[in-house]
Amino acid sequence: MADIKALEHPTLKVPYEILNKKFRSAQKTIDREISHVHTASSDIEACLEDKKKIKDVSRVIDNMVEKLCLLKRKADESINEELEAARVIKERIDHLKEAELLHPHTKPLWHKKRLDRMLVEYFLRAGFYNTAIKLAQQSEIEDLTNIELFLTSKRSEESLQRKEVVPCLTWCYENKNKLRKMKSTLEFKLRKQEFIEHIRNSRCLEAVKHARKHFSVLEDDQKLAEVQRVMGLLAFPGCSSKSPYKDLLDENSWADLVKQFRFENFKLHQLNTDSVFTITLQAGLSALKTPMCYKQHAMRKSSDCPVCNCQLNELGKGLPYSHCANSKLICAISGQALNEHNPPMALPNGHVYGYNSLNEMADGNDGRIVCPRTKEIFHIDETEKVFVM
Amino acid sequence: MDACQAVEKEVNKVLEKFTGLNQHYANNLDELTNSIQSIQKELNEGPEDNELTATQSLILIQTLRRLKEAVSRYGQEHKDLHSTVSKVGKSVDRNFVNDFSSVIVDRAFDGQEKAMLLNEVVCEHFMRQGMLDVADSIVEDADLAIAEDKKEPFMELHRILGALRMNDLDPALCWAHTHAVKLREMNSSLEFKLHRLKFINLIKEGPSAQLAALYYSKNFEKFADQHARDMTLMGSLLFLRHGIQNSSYSHLLSTIYWDEICDIFTRDACTLMGMSMESPLSVSIKAGCIALPPLLNIKQVMQQRQVSGVWSNKDELPVEIELGTDFRYHSVFACPILRQQSTDTNPPMRLICGHVISKDALTKLSSGSKVKCPYCPVEQSPSDARQVHF
Repeated sequence: MADIKALEHPTLKVPYEILNKKFRSAQKTIDREISHVHTASSDIEACLEDKKKIKDVSRVIDNMVEKLCLLKRKADESINEELEAARVIKERIDHLKEAELLHPHTKPLWHKKRLDRMLVEYFLRAGFYNTAIKLAQQSEIEDLTNIELFLTSKRSEESLQRKEVVPCLTWCYENKNKLRKMKSTLEFKLRKQEFIEHIRNSRCLEAVKHARKHFSVLEDDQKLAEVQRVMGLLAFPGCSSKSPYKDLLDENSWADLVKQFRFENFKLHQLNTDSVFTITLQAGLSALKTPMCYKQHAMRKSSDCPVCNCQLNELGKGLPYSHCANSKLICAISGQALNEHNPPMALPNGHVYGYNSLNEMADGNDGRIVCPRTKEIFHIDETEKVFVM
Repeated sequence: MDACQAVEKEVNKVLEKFTGLNQHYANNLDELTNSIQSIQKELNEGPEDNELTATQSLILIQTLRRLKEAVSRYGQEHKDLHSTVSKVGKSVDRNFVNDFSSVIVDRAFDGQEKAMLLNEVVCEHFMRQGMLDVADSIVEDADLAIAEDKKEPFMELHRILGALRMNDLDPALCWAHTHAVKLREMNSSLEFKLHRLKFINLIKEGPSAQLAALYYSKNFEKFADQHARDMTLMGSLLFLRHGIQNSSYSHLLSTIYWDEICDIFTRDACTLMGMSMESPLSVSIKAGCIALPPLLNIKQVMQQRQVSGVWSNKDELPVEIELGTDFRYHSVFACPILRQQSTDTNPPMRLICGHVISKDALTKLSSGSKVKCPYCPVEQSPSDARQVHF
């Protein structure tokens, strides 16, 4: 089951990060409600100290009861969300555990699902959201893939493409602590872009206000240097082509923001920059790749070999060949392995085929055999045994 | 599997502890609410403009203290569960591999062109599976230019296979008839097997359909030379009075024949169209799933021993990966002496005794005009060795 260990990290790590997030927000909610209860309690204590009348005390007690109920309800909701998140992990583990107990008949189905899961992730990373959802629905793997995570990011990405920063800033705020730990510059970049947009639309005064509000708290030297440069825009209003700061007004910076957002979202959820799908495909192509797949001679290619497939052949060009210290021989006629049950036989022209294929050909042909590569005709008695250690 | 179990253990702990915490404090809070409400009720029984008596306020203060302690403990206990939660994450990290960098070649599929090719491969994979709407969706999302006519053969294939699975032979027969010449060239038994299934189906219907079966048997005529033995068998079926179910030929009704015909049809149709039997993408991914674990292992070992630089030319994978005979598509000859794959300049040579070694090995082993086979006692001249092609 080494393949599960090697491939399924994101399947479990992403829901774990969600559970962790849920835990933090639950803790926050519970703490908040507890502090409300504490305030209510001090209210009652204050009433007692002031020797207030029963009806006043009764009223603050009402408030207390209300706060307690609220705590109970909120805590219950939050904990249920945590449990829900934990159950998602469990469900995925159960699916992974199935792989061990698979009946040979159901194994292909599990493998197909795994490929579909990989593909869904690949689509999501590539931003093919519609395809990802469609595939996940059709192969019933919605609960096993991290669609939810990507759909949240889709909303932020789309808003960035529309040049709106608010949803993305909200996202930054929600994940403030983690982003700080990652030393993320996303929020700063968004603020900077806002400033630039103010300048672009000739709202210099607002730009200055914006700068005062958001840039005055910066400490990082590098960010300050960037701020200094951006400030230069104030001196060159409008989009004059002579401005030394015109690169800052480039519209492509929005696309960069989308890219940065996507990257930081992956990092936040501990996802690799490469998808499991591409890594596995590379490993697979490499393990299958032989020098034969790149020979010009058509006879050497096999229509069943994935690396000989025209697109994959191109994709596999930069990958290493498989390492082969022991001969692996197949009969070029039947595709069957050459071994003691199907010994290799050499024709006088040096071409080697399996005994079974040659024998079959000779049987219905008065012992004559045609070399499929050279079309030369020989007699079966002319073939010689070949021993490959 | 222990990897899954380790994580599962931690997740179960989380589920258990959070459920317990929730239940415990739900009851606890209910109790506290009740007690404070009963104090309130007691207070309300007296005249409402009175002050509280000393005992009453003492009781109230005590209850409040209990209450505050309880809720603070709630917050604290929830916080303490964080270690349980983070253990899940740690156990995922410990048991599953997260770092794929430099396993193969970093960023091998980067760039617009490669991305396009990859998307095409994926798109074809779905066409082949008959999931045309997903394929269409990729074309749209990835902005691919895939010609309509590329889809056509896949669609036909799927229509026919779908019908075969529903035990409907007609579309397949029709297809086989159209491609009869090519199928014959390929020495395919598809058409005969389709007719045979159809014939058996008629026989199954009993004596009433006998005439139809007899009439249908004319279809076998053209297969006379190829499948003579099978045909005598078919003929004998016509004489069964009590139905094939009760005869010694009942095995012919087995569903295995339907599975077989699906396989044969897929194989022959794919060969005819010059396609591989299985989707190249699934084959590659299957191979990748086998190849990745050993590659990750070797990478870890190389990093630990700090010899990762040794494998720098990356022209070949650092280890041999045994994928099994199903994944063998080409013959690869590795010289048993030099442990190297043969190349154009270093081809395999067959010695007179039949043993095969590489040309370089032959040169190294020979002294003057004599060479002794490394596997048997035969002595010979190196010039007698002949190049072979696998």
